[in-house]
Amino acid sequence: MSEWEPKIVGFLCNWCSYAGADLAGTSRLEYPPNIRIIRLPCSGRVNPLFILKCLSNGADGVLISGCHIGDCHYSEGNFYARRRFAVLKKLLEYLGIDPRRFQMSWVSASEGDKWARLVTELVEEIKQAGPNKDFVRKND
Amino acid sequence: MIDQIKTKAKELLKTKKVDIVIGYKKASDRIGAIPAFIDKEGDIDKLIWDGYCVYNLSNYLKDFPGKKIGIVTKGCDAKSMTVLLQENQLKREDIFIIGIECSGIVDEKRKGGDIAYDERCKGCKPATPPIYDVLIKEEEKKQAPRLEQDPYESVRKLETKSIEEKFKFWQDEFSRCIRCYACRQICPLCYCPRCVAEQTQPAWFSKAVSVEGNFSWNVNRAMHLAGRCIDCGECERACPVGIPLRDINKKIEKDVKELFSYEAGVDTEQKPLFSSFDKNDPEDFIK
Repeated sequence: MSEWEPKIVGFLCNWCSYAGADLAGTSRLEYPPNIRIIRLPCSGRVNPLFILKCLSNGADGVLISGCHIGDCHYSEGNFYARRRFAVLKKLLEYLGIDPRRFQMSWVSASEGDKWARLVTELVEEIKQAGPNKDFVRKND
Repeated sequence: MIDQIKTKAKELLKTKKVDIVIGYKKASDRIGAIPAFIDKEGDIDKLIWDGYCVYNLSNYLKDFPGKKIGIVTKGCDAKSMTVLLQENQLKREDIFIIGIECSGIVDEKRKGGDIAYDERCKGCKPATPPIYDVLIKEEEKKQAPRLEQDPYESVRKLETKSIEEKFKFWQDEFSRCIRCYACRQICPLCYCPRCVAEQTQPAWFSKAVSVEGNFSWNVNRAMHLAGRCIDCGECERACPVGIPLRDINKKIEKDVKELFSYEAGVDTEQKPLFSSFDKNDPEDFIK
């Protein structure tokens, strides 16, 4: 492979971040195509298992993005997500999984520019972290 | 002390206050202790209490649906009952807790040798159960000297290592994992009728003994115990290959205490960690 490009999985909430990413597109903002977006009803829907599954199936990074605190469509879904992933993030780091591979952000429906910037930075960070080799499932 | 336990057990069975008393009896090797399930007054004399009573008996509470249970409980075991009550897995009126102010148990790996207090007892401060119906105190002279030790010492030591070193360390430890799920079976708080590890549609993680399968299983086990684990240490004791599981549990316990000032198993009225939130939870990791 001449140049390695990271694969990133993004779990986006339907109401804010997905619309934000959509806005980035309709505003014709340019950002790297390395992210694969999965739309979910809420960031509170994300189970820590999703992240493990992504990493073990070859994703180099995982991003969870939801509404800003106070903006959740379901009032409190992102509060629960925030607690859960604060713990998971620390745990993964403790077990030796590069913390850059798992990130979280709040992007609202009007923040298309923030989304484009965020993904650009994220891809840059994951490129520095390099390909996810340790944790990936090997078919042998 | 054991007389007090026996008298109470007898009284409970006689007055039909409970259907069964769960306690400890001598194992066939005449040193160790195994769980005893006593439903006849005649069997009460089998009950014992000594430093080898290591099992967390609250694991057996779920095996007697619809029955009233009397249970002999150490301080740490009562905490796991607190969590079960918090999560509506038990009814308080169905259990009668014979609380024991424990003075520490022995390290089971050193059976028969000198009495060596278990690692987990060294960091334990109040040995008094947070909930009990009757409290039995161990005699003054037998109280073990409790070391004023940082309970998170080994966690802190690991935290200072680099990411690569940490990965190497856990990879070595997990490489021994044979996925027997003894850690899950022994855990009083792992009570799901169907564990995610056995799900096949979708298969969340590999069932094979592999780096990523073993990592996923252990991360998942730890996450499911986040804010619930009360550090009874049964998982580590049951692990046939000696993975330091308590170091993972303690790490989460420490983080949860630092991030949300939450402690598991102290208050039955407290909402479980992940079923509650605070508006001011830290979010410095979120962009």
